[in-house]
Amino acid sequence: MELDVRGEMCPYPAMKTKEWLPKLKAGEELILLTDHAPALSTVPWEGARLGFISDITVTGPGEWRILLQKAAAPIDTRRALSAIAERAAALAGE
Amino acid sequence: MTARAASVRPAAVRSVPVTALATVAVIAVIGVLLTRRGFNLGAYWFIGVGFGLILQRSRLCFAGGFRDLIMSGDGRILRAILAGMAVATLGFALLMARFVPDPSFGQLPPGAHIQTAGLATLAGGLIFGVGMVLAGGCVSGTLWRMGEGYLNSWAAMAGVLVGLWAGAKTWTWWYDNDISKRTPTWLPAEIGMGPAILLVLALLGVLYAAILWWEMRSPRMPEPAAKRPAPALSLGDYLKHGWQRVFTGRGWSYLTGAVALAILGTFAYGLQAPLGVTGGLGLWGDKLAGLAGLGALPLKGADLLAGCTPGNGATWLTIRTSTMTGLVIGAFLASVLSGEFRLRWSRQWSRYPQVVAGGLLMGYASVLAVGCTVGAFFSSIPSLALSGWLFGLALFGGAFIGVKIVRRLP
Repeated sequence: MELDVRGEMCPYPAMKTKEWLPKLKAGEELILLTDHAPALSTVPWEGARLGFISDITVTGPGEWRILLQKAAAPIDTRRALSAIAERAAALAGE
Repeated sequence: MTARAASVRPAAVRSVPVTALATVAVIAVIGVLLTRRGFNLGAYWFIGVGFGLILQRSRLCFAGGFRDLIMSGDGRILRAILAGMAVATLGFALLMARFVPDPSFGQLPPGAHIQTAGLATLAGGLIFGVGMVLAGGCVSGTLWRMGEGYLNSWAAMAGVLVGLWAGAKTWTWWYDNDISKRTPTWLPAEIGMGPAILLVLALLGVLYAAILWWEMRSPRMPEPAAKRPAPALSLGDYLKHGWQRVFTGRGWSYLTGAVALAILGTFAYGLQAPLGVTGGLGLWGDKLAGLAGLGALPLKGADLLAGCTPGNGATWLTIRTSTMTGLVIGAFLASVLSGEFRLRWSRQWSRYPQVVAGGLLMGYASVLAVGCTVGAFFSSIPSLALSGWLFGLALFGGAFIGVKIVRRLP
């Protein structure tokens, strides 16, 4: 499942994530294309809350691809949140 | 790099130093030309540039402040705005105490944003609240994102201009039936300067604590710690670190932005009037409509009106038009320097009618309230006006309705 939310600003990237993750079939992944830097933290956060791990790749200047996959084990919210915040800061600072 | 990456490159700026230097030159030239028309026209141009720079770097989005608290229980932006208003309250009080040594006399401080607090304020706040959530940003938020390259925001701004014009066309009804029947309530005139300041600071503090409590009921995204720079061993290092702190990375904290905005607002008020943008937009919207013979200015009773007013429409240039245009170019400059400028547009076509409708509502509402989230809220509460509180409360109600609507939209 791929969602192209380029051009969309808050709250849509996170809102779409929250809307689509529960609809995924078992083993399916969600790919989100975005050019909105705040989405780098809001999308993985929504994902973590629903038990998804996210992986962000830079696809161009100011464009990112966020891959969300169902986590094998339950996610420790506290650890996940600080990891997400740090990664978002590092990506936005590139 | 993939083909996709190569295809988006033209949307970004080709050379940052060239674009930035050219922008600085344009800002300087326009600023100098404006000061020749009037010192304050130029001064407010530079204030506008600072305004845009602060908003872009801190992503201080007033619409987001209300929306995120309602939608996801995230009150960081709104708390920062409250803290900023506390700082501005102290700054404004300093000026107002000099302008009006004895508030019980009935004289209002000149330039302060003390609007009437009535039906128009309430309706304005509600409609504005809905509009800003639909449009994805309030009026100032739309202006800084225009500078950042969001085409959605340009569409929303078209709606704002039409809304302002429609508001001006129907202004007389609101004026005759509500605004002219009330006198603006300035808190120091009722309870004295000292108690008014303490009351406003206490209310802001209580709200801050209440939001923080509400927020902490569920885990939140922590603010990432700022990266500690390598030790500065030379003047060059020192300047480089300072530059990086301002222009690179993820930007400033919301609190830094809100306090910076409060300080800028205090300077603006010291010069002539607090910050506001819809007055300038209303003027230009009306001037454009005037080309087709459809102008609505001057507004009835405008001479007695406080707040973000469009003026009498005699000229294209006022301190408000300087502020709003400066804001866009300031945000453009900040986004170029931080490497964030890029032309961006929604792939989902239903978004465009949505943001235009949001803009229309905001434009219309800001005529009723004589200002937007900046002119009738962030500049009114520190003016110790009752109207700012009523508008803020109504904004919250409107944003609540807006969130309900947005959740049902695609």
